[in-house]
Amino acid sequence: MRLLGSWPARVGVGFVRACVVTVVTMLVPAVWAAAVALGIWWGAGNPWSWVAPVVLVCGSTLVLSRPVCRMVRFLVARWTATVIPAGYRQAGPVTRMSTGYWWNGFSYERTRRDALLDQKWRVRWSDPANWRDLRFTVIAPLTAGLVASLPPTGVAVAILGLGRPGPAARVVGALGLVVAVAGAPYAWRCVEPVAVRFLRPSPAMALADRVDELTAQRADATVAQAAEIRRIERDLHDGAQARLVGLGLSLATAEKLLETDPDQARTLMREARAGATASLTELRELVQGINPPVLNDRGLIDAVRALALDSPLEAAVSADLRLSLDPSIESALYFAIAELLTNSVKHAGATRARISITQDDTGIVIDVEDDGRGGAVLRADGGLAGLCRRLAVFDGTLEITSPEGGPTRVRMMVPCESL
Amino acid sequence: MRIVVAEDLYLLRDGMVRLIEAYGHQVVATAATGPETLDALLTWRPDIAVVDVRMPPTQSDEGLRVALAARSELPGLPVLILSQYVEQLYARELLADGAGGIGYFLKESVFDGDQFIDALERVAAGGTAMDPAVIAKLLSSGSSYRRLERLTEREHSVLGLMAEGLSNQAIGRRLFLSESAISKYTTSLFGKLGITDDDNNNRRVLAVLTYLNNP
Repeated sequence: MRLLGSWPARVGVGFVRACVVTVVTMLVPAVWAAAVALGIWWGAGNPWSWVAPVVLVCGSTLVLSRPVCRMVRFLVARWTATVIPAGYRQAGPVTRMSTGYWWNGFSYERTRRDALLDQKWRVRWSDPANWRDLRFTVIAPLTAGLVASLPPTGVAVAILGLGRPGPAARVVGALGLVVAVAGAPYAWRCVEPVAVRFLRPSPAMALADRVDELTAQRADATVAQAAEIRRIERDLHDGAQARLVGLGLSLATAEKLLETDPDQARTLMREARAGATASLTELRELVQGINPPVLNDRGLIDAVRALALDSPLEAAVSADLRLSLDPSIESALYFAIAELLTNSVKHAGATRARISITQDDTGIVIDVEDDGRGGAVLRADGGLAGLCRRLAVFDGTLEITSPEGGPTRVRMMVPCESL
Repeated sequence: MRIVVAEDLYLLRDGMVRLIEAYGHQVVATAATGPETLDALLTWRPDIAVVDVRMPPTQSDEGLRVALAARSELPGLPVLILSQYVEQLYARELLADGAGGIGYFLKESVFDGDQFIDALERVAAGGTAMDPAVIAKLLSSGSSYRRLERLTEREHSVLGLMAEGLSNQAIGRRLFLSESAISKYTTSLFGKLGITDDDNNNRRVLAVLTYLNNP
């Protein structure tokens, strides 16, 4: 009943969509046809009369190809929820050099406006996506355009046929109507596979995107590494090194006092011992922050178990991992879990946590769940965003669901290819 | 006592041997790698072994694994594990067989010769001795923390020292209290936690550690 009821609606919607697809895809061929007509009208015999139409054909094709492709991408995304990435080249930053000139990645310009304009044109004309768009503007009318034009053509035939006397014309008209009505719900759908096949970014474009992504990640990693080394240097300088200097001083003084004031010397030596213990504690904490020994000894799972034991949370760990991981990934995942547990204690006020480490066909999946108050959000400069960046080095991802009132669930995934 | 010392760093090994001998004990063998240690333990059957966790050839938890392997051959073989860092995970594994004769300490515990040798003797006698750092982690982590909320501050510190392996007398000395005052505290805290008190000090320590280790 529902099907029957919705049938006229489907025909109506399908007909409108078919008309839209026809208009969009046939736009460029229509311009071509107009240009040819213009040439014939001006005088088919005179070769000079073809100059204007040829310029018109070339110019309109170049100018219209991108808007047509954008439109098709938009329509497909809107009607079928298939999102086709455009993959157009993005303009880089325009920076002012110390000479006062502006650099846009291609050339120096006197003003920012010139630099932007120049960049815009260069990016537009050197974009490998242009070739793909041109190819599509030729292929689309011959495939999706032709099929989508069936219902409108059927209607046109019906109007012409039924309007004329004579049984033959009426039969043709009725046939046209049948084709139009029966084909309307389906004819426009042809545009989706054609668009997916011919409009997606080419391998070269996908590679270019990947290179951009990796460049950004490398820059991130370099910055993070440098910051980490500076932190270690500072900790050693202010902590252990300073304490060892103090220790040496105490011992030197004690040595001097040994003859004259043995009691004072003993006190100093006791202090020296306490200093040695304190610097060991500091060094241990530092090492724990660089590379936890238990991670080196036992690998990720036992290290996470040790982490759970030390945590003020009641943390349960379940693990099913057959792969042996690269130390760098183990370390990244360990610190990610440690940070999430710390967040659970500090920000969510949780008392329990559950950590599960599993492995499926696609990679490693780690879930961390707490019973805290939730409300965690990914902020650009927040700890969670830093976590995402560190995982991104391994193409890992982090998803978080944390409604107000809790609980917070975080899922981290690292794909197999990175392992 | 006849003692085996297993430690890969020469300076530390040498220093430890001198410290032990200064207290009148005998070092019968030293070892610098995991396999050597296992060999020495099984050949010499010492009264106690002092074993470093990280040793060649793997430079991971070699010493710990060797100690556990030796104890499965010679049940109850007293072992004192030394390490640059302490993990509750390792403490649990060492205590898992429930046989006692286990010590687990940070390396710097050798700074205090008296306490170190005292711990050595306790472990050799089948007792348990834990580094204060292990116990502190144990008392502050997840489930223990909440279960111990009912204890008073004094009972809390008595429990901690008890878990380190000290006798009532030793706890009394540390806290500057009489032995009878300590036994009053132990009775009340055992009552609160629902553990049966045991007159034998070694079994009592194990009971406390088992209680704390249970999630």
